[in-house]
Amino acid sequence: MARPGALWVGLALAGVAAVALLPLLGNEYLVGTGLTVLMWLALTPSWCVLSRLTGYVSLGHVVFYGLGAYLVVTTWQQWPLWLAIPAAGLLAAAFAGLVGGPALRVRGPYFVILTFGLAELVKFSIMAAESAMGMAARILFGAPDLLAVYWMMAALALASLLLLAWVSGSRFGHGLRSLRENEEAAETLGVPVTRYKLIAFVLSAAIPGMVGAVMALRSTYFVVGQVFDPMVSVTVIAMALLGGGDGVRGPILGVLFLALLSELLWAQAPLLYMILLGAILVVFVLLLPDGLIGLLQRWRRKGTAS
Amino acid sequence: MSVLLEVQSLSKKFGGLTALSDVSFQVPAGAIVGVMGANGAGKTTLFSLIAGNARPSSGDIRFEGRSIVGLSADRVCRLGVARTFQIVKPFPAMTVRENLRTAAMFGHAQQRSREAADAATQSVLHEVGLAADAERPASALTLSGQKRLEIARAVATGGRLLMLDEVMAGLTPTEVAQMLDTVRQLHAKRGLTLLVIEHVMRALMELCERIVVLHHGQLIAEGTPAEIGAHAQVHAVYFGGPA
Repeated sequence: MARPGALWVGLALAGVAAVALLPLLGNEYLVGTGLTVLMWLALTPSWCVLSRLTGYVSLGHVVFYGLGAYLVVTTWQQWPLWLAIPAAGLLAAAFAGLVGGPALRVRGPYFVILTFGLAELVKFSIMAAESAMGMAARILFGAPDLLAVYWMMAALALASLLLLAWVSGSRFGHGLRSLRENEEAAETLGVPVTRYKLIAFVLSAAIPGMVGAVMALRSTYFVVGQVFDPMVSVTVIAMALLGGGDGVRGPILGVLFLALLSELLWAQAPLLYMILLGAILVVFVLLLPDGLIGLLQRWRRKGTAS
Repeated sequence: MSVLLEVQSLSKKFGGLTALSDVSFQVPAGAIVGVMGANGAGKTTLFSLIAGNARPSSGDIRFEGRSIVGLSADRVCRLGVARTFQIVKPFPAMTVRENLRTAAMFGHAQQRSREAADAATQSVLHEVGLAADAERPASALTLSGQKRLEIARAVATGGRLLMLDEVMAGLTPTEVAQMLDTVRQLHAKRGLTLLVIEHVMRALMELCERIVVLHHGQLIAEGTPAEIGAHAQVHAVYFGGPA
């Protein structure tokens, strides 16, 4: 990957400034929207650490989010948040470490289906457990206010972006990209593929676990079906796909693009949004498989060529 | 000469099919040893067992005196065993240089940084004749180029034992001659020990000090090229003469 140019550094600083200054406007709607964007900015790069870099496309990213939320909800008013939120990340990572061994033995569409099935399995297991305990939904009393949640999410988004940037540029990341290209060749050249895949899976799980925990504070009520909503996994994939590339710029572009589109259209015309989203995905998969990043690179090459 | 690789009573069964049966031979350090045999004789299976891509059903493989049976392919590579694939397996979307970077970073050489890895592989690119293609994606190479990439990556791991699986198959006579040159120079310059599978018999005869012949998974002959050329059973298998 090329070194980030001055333009990108400037844009990054502007982004950080926007995140820091947004709450000063005192507009609750804007802060809420910012929180949503930050949530996707935390989720999407963490997904990329496994699925973009290794080619093991997970359709079950929401399972970590849901587990994290569930941990915070079940320990509410017993564990302090400074303990519960990191514990949510640890729980999600531990779950990934547990299921990753067997799950990462299958590739391609089998892995996609497997991760989707796994997320649904956890969802329905917790649903069954909750109804056995007579819990239709849980409500959190005394959750922190919107601004506190906003800052926590900003920290998670930053952590997620830094994680992806670090992995992508590291020796570890080069090993992951090699096994994406050809797993048997990578292993024969010395890449410890089994261990690397598992580490990537565990790393990609911790942040969504904490994101789920923080979002539970935002919604202050807990319904299993909503917290384990497969649309979260699908949206993350769509954002990563629209962005493209192995670095952090793609996911950032993808998140901003889709989040803005949904913000503009979702409230007024939800059907139109879904239709447009479908159409955009089709266009990107068919014409721009490298996403917005690929498009920008193509423009730049044209610019330098002429 | 000390023994670098020793194969002892190696067998591999796939269900009811015996791909290799009780094969034993030695590869002295610094030697070029050829592996000959018809399709299905078990040559590639032998490589896969040595490199750790597959587990033997029985027998032992010793590299530098230590048993490597049961180790995963990446550990075997880090110990210093490198192989190429007959059906090439490049990292297609990566450049040639990035392909070699993987080998230098993760193979026996264990280069920790990208810069160190690239510095180490620069000479390999030259020796294998890929220097001009360094920044091209591997998918853009010709078959001959991709065969060279297989060799370059294996060399870039920094291993002592290089196993070449039919790197001349499918090449034109001119390309075969160039490839022979390349392999000889790598052997001389880097002091590598080579184990070479080749269908092109004349190439094998020219290149190797010793040859082992496999037939239906069994080792039927072993010796210098001259001895193999005069071996009655080899003649029977290859040319259909009386055994």
